[in-house]
Amino acid sequence: MASRAPDLDTLAQGARTDVAGAGSLQDLTSVRARYLGRKGSVSDLLRGIGDLPAEERSRVGQQVNALKVQIEDWVAERRAALESRERNRHLEEHRLDVTLPAAGQPLGHLHPVSHVQRDMAQFFLARGFSIEEGPEVETEHNNFDALNVPADHPARDMQDTFWVEGDFVLRTHTSPVQIRAMTGRTPPFRFIAPGRVYRHDFSPRNSPMFGQVEGFAVDESVTLANLKELLYAFAKHMFGAVELRFRASYFPFTEPSAELDFRCPLCRGDGCNTCSQTGWIEWGGCGMIHPTVLRNCDIDPERYQGYAFGMGLERGAMLRHELPHIRLLYDGDLRVLEQL
Amino acid sequence: MLVPLSWLADWIELPDSVEALAESLTGGGLEVDAIERTGPDLSALVVGDVVEHGPHPNADRLSVCRVDAGDDEPFEVVCGAPNVAAGQKIAFARVGTRLPDGTRLKKSRIRSVTSMGMICSERELGLGDEHEGILVLDTDAPAGTPLADVLSAGETILEIAITANRGDCASILGIAREVRAHFGAAVRVPTCDPPEGERAVAEDLRVEITDPEGCHRYDARVVRGVRVGPSPNWMQQRLEAAGMRPINVVVDVTNYVMLELGQPLHAFDLDRLRGGVIRVRSAEAGERMTTLDGVERTLDPSDLLITDGGGPVAVAGVIGGGDSEVSDATTNLLIESAHFRPGRVRLTAKRLGVQTDASYRFERGVDRAGVTRAADRAARLIAELAGGEVSRGVATATGSTPDGVDEIALAPARVNGLLGTALSRDEIEAYLARVGVEPATESESESGGGGRHGDEPGRYAIPSHRNDLRIAEDLIEEVARIHGLDRIPATVQVGPLVGGGAPRSWTDAERARDTLWAEGVTEVMCFPFLDPRDLDRLDLAESDPRRATLGVVNPIAESHSQLRSTLLPSLLGLLRENRNRQIDRVRIFEVSRVFRVEKEGELPEEDLCVAAVLTRSDQNRLWEAKTEAAPPLFFEAKGIALRLVSALGYRAELRPGAPQPYQHPGASAGIRVGRRVVGEVGELHPDAAARFAIDVPCAVIELSLSALADVPRQEKRFREVSRHPQMQRDLAVLVDRDQRAGELVDAIRRKGGDHLASVEVFDRYEGQGVPEGKVSLAFRLVFQRVDRTLTDGEVTKSVDQVVKMLANQFGGELR
Ligand SMILES: [Zn+2]
Repeated sequence: MASRAPDLDTLAQGARTDVAGAGSLQDLTSVRARYLGRKGSVSDLLRGIGDLPAEERSRVGQQVNALKVQIEDWVAERRAALESRERNRHLEEHRLDVTLPAAGQPLGHLHPVSHVQRDMAQFFLARGFSIEEGPEVETEHNNFDALNVPADHPARDMQDTFWVEGDFVLRTHTSPVQIRAMTGRTPPFRFIAPGRVYRHDFSPRNSPMFGQVEGFAVDESVTLANLKELLYAFAKHMFGAVELRFRASYFPFTEPSAELDFRCPLCRGDGCNTCSQTGWIEWGGCGMIHPTVLRNCDIDPERYQGYAFGMGLERGAMLRHELPHIRLLYDGDLRVLEQL
Repeated sequence: MLVPLSWLADWIELPDSVEALAESLTGGGLEVDAIERTGPDLSALVVGDVVEHGPHPNADRLSVCRVDAGDDEPFEVVCGAPNVAAGQKIAFARVGTRLPDGTRLKKSRIRSVTSMGMICSERELGLGDEHEGILVLDTDAPAGTPLADVLSAGETILEIAITANRGDCASILGIAREVRAHFGAAVRVPTCDPPEGERAVAEDLRVEITDPEGCHRYDARVVRGVRVGPSPNWMQQRLEAAGMRPINVVVDVTNYVMLELGQPLHAFDLDRLRGGVIRVRSAEAGERMTTLDGVERTLDPSDLLITDGGGPVAVAGVIGGGDSEVSDATTNLLIESAHFRPGRVRLTAKRLGVQTDASYRFERGVDRAGVTRAADRAARLIAELAGGEVSRGVATATGSTPDGVDEIALAPARVNGLLGTALSRDEIEAYLARVGVEPATESESESGGGGRHGDEPGRYAIPSHRNDLRIAEDLIEEVARIHGLDRIPATVQVGPLVGGGAPRSWTDAERARDTLWAEGVTEVMCFPFLDPRDLDRLDLAESDPRRATLGVVNPIAESHSQLRSTLLPSLLGLLRENRNRQIDRVRIFEVSRVFRVEKEGELPEEDLCVAAVLTRSDQNRLWEAKTEAAPPLFFEAKGIALRLVSALGYRAELRPGAPQPYQHPGASAGIRVGRRVVGEVGELHPDAAARFAIDVPCAVIELSLSALADVPRQEKRFREVSRHPQMQRDLAVLVDRDQRAGELVDAIRRKGGDHLASVEVFDRYEGQGVPEGKVSLAFRLVFQRVDRTLTDGEVTKSVDQVVKMLANQFGGELR
């Protein structure tokens, strides 16, 4: 019965061709059934082994079983290939144009002044300053008198004031927060007071409202030199390396007083429109807290001394974004704010 | 203040460079805002040497010159001036340069000779009318020197901003003192003493002060027999350069001396003063007078008046009266030089709304020892320039002693301790000497002049013109500014680290900004003002607390006359403006304070609020659900509000309540946290939208961060997570169309038993298959136990109870 061997070979050949020709998982399933199913060709062979002479049974049995294993392997291999092809086809069908716009909401924007205020607060918090806030409607006492700005002194005219019913003012600076924060506290302390302040000035290039950050520290031996170091570090944090200029000046609530300028980063000192051809940009005022102010807050100026400074927030925002004037920040024009 | 440099140069030797001068003044506290140059622009012209001069070959009246202008080759120039000659130094313009009149000089051919430049006349230089001959320069400067270096044309004017404490700098003398402080030259004060006649001033006048608190000193000089005409040219030019209009010789002299010395003066027509007396007194209530400007003014007892025998003739330190004004007919003069209390002058000037050069100086304080000198100087100049004879002596009266200190004690250690410097006593005293502050002499010093050595405090005499120097710190500032603030070191502060925190209002505001920004909303910042009509546009009831606004006393416009009690009108205004800018989708928010009058006479309450306004795109965009299919805008706003409150650390619920009058009554809800309503979400009422001229549907979120901060934050606690499977049941119930799903969810939660883990509305449907007036609401109930798997029976029992409850309580029918 050696003639059976060629049959197995033919069968194997056919199975191999059929498995390889299966074009889908479904085809493959039916090809497999045709060979290995209960009524399949290999099953037929296995069933016919009983009819064989005893001495051949075991050999042919081994051959058929080997064939069965062989076909299962081919099927598995083919299945893996077909599945992979199927997956690839799915992936291919789900290929997206990822450059199309995002679904959902448009981008929102933080106001540039909020951004600057945040950057500033970050610097001072890391330097051990606490944030203190005060009301925007203030008493004349806190906004002026306690800060050594008496009504009969021309220093009152340095700030055009919005008056509010009840003899109150819209604070013209964040300095009244000094009075509120220092009164009832014992030094040492360090505070910043960021917030909005108001001046009675409404023209196309000026805003009646602007942001300011006030800072002050009181201890037994803080000096103007300490203030300078702080402001150099602060300027570096805000603008990178920058040249500063301290000019003597006058504020009723500090003595000595100084104005602080930084080198115009746009023209580097040659003069341009941003710096009004001066090469310098005015940033703020600073000085050593006037003894009268300390005394007005029940702090003994014989024992304690302190520094204070205040600067506008808008300058930083305008420089950062090269905004030509301050009103662009407060006009609420989304064509502007959505750029920033 | 405008300071003509030539004038200042009469008073003190100036540094060569104007820029260096300006830089020093600015660094020392007198900010030079601008350096103005008047006169022609000679910057393109140079000094030329006429090296050859000969006749023109084709014209008798012309000559041909060769001019060396410092270049490699001389230029050949045709010249028509009769006075040109070889060897002269002349003003030369090369072809191509811009002449002072703005034109550009072209190459020209004159009778077949090409002229390569121009020798300029005075007129061509813009210096005068002379045009017959050329300007011959009187200089040794080599050819090629810029003409501006050898020819002073026009004036250089420093525009100086004077700080409010430095009244003493409002004069040429004051600026000269500052120049001295920086550069060290001596100040040259001109002669002031007038030549006096025989007639004594007392024959015409006596002076009385009946308000000694308001007037410290009053000096009067009399000049008789003057001829009032225009002042000389040089004086007019200086006054004009300093920004003053020349009037007549008398007024011009008083202004000139005021500019020189800082002491305001006033000249009266002596013959029009009645009764031979000047009396300085306070005004009577209701008293009236007509001032120089023709305005009749009602006076107040706080005003200080100069009166004669008949009545007021001037408001002291502010403005003169019309009746006694100096005119061309005036022959006899009274020159007033006085020292008034600065606060009084300021009060009156403010009240009358008049600011004059005089009141400006008096408010800031004039030199208390300079009164007589100014009267003398003016009398001298008038006698010199207008003829007349100065009467002998000064009529004078004194009142109270003016404020100001004579000496200040200062220790070197205090200077270094405040500045962080290491200056020696000698250095400090040298700086102080630069500003006229000298160690007090022993006789002046109460302490007997001790402490001149080591670190003992010294006593320093303060010059009378520095009324701003009152305390030791003032002297320290003088040291600092003359030493130079830029030369003070920068050293790290050493001390205990205290604080370093932010208040909750700060962190909440920051979190709100971050959340809304991430939600695709853009932050805006608006002015704090409110148009009162906006409260009507919002349709707020008369009793609404937001009507209790605080008024601005001096608003910039009626539309800015109140402080905001709500952020909404600002945002709606911006929405409209941005729509007008053709912006399709507007999503903006603001974090800001609103003001509410709580108690008359006290500061208003300031609530920190967040408000947002949202619209949708009205253009068909990719991905965007078409309008019919999209959920109503309200739900978008609701989602943002819930996520915002969640970011602030609370769980909020939206519950319908009493809608705001500006909200859509059917699409609005209160933001509830615990039992408190802390805000509102709603679509804008169409009527309100129309009143604000808003043309798109819009939703509004309002949240009070202040109200939220009053609600205690609940710590979120861990609940055990079950390992056992969930059982899910869906129920669809027909209920009345008006039935709110939220109430059903609450009821199901209550009735669903201990193991109902969650309830969710997953569908709402009305239409085909649902009876008229009804709605189908579908709920997904999830059951789960922590300790074991629930049985089917247990879940069914719970669901049955829910179904029964829905039928009984809500008339709900299972679908
Ligand atoms: Zn610049």
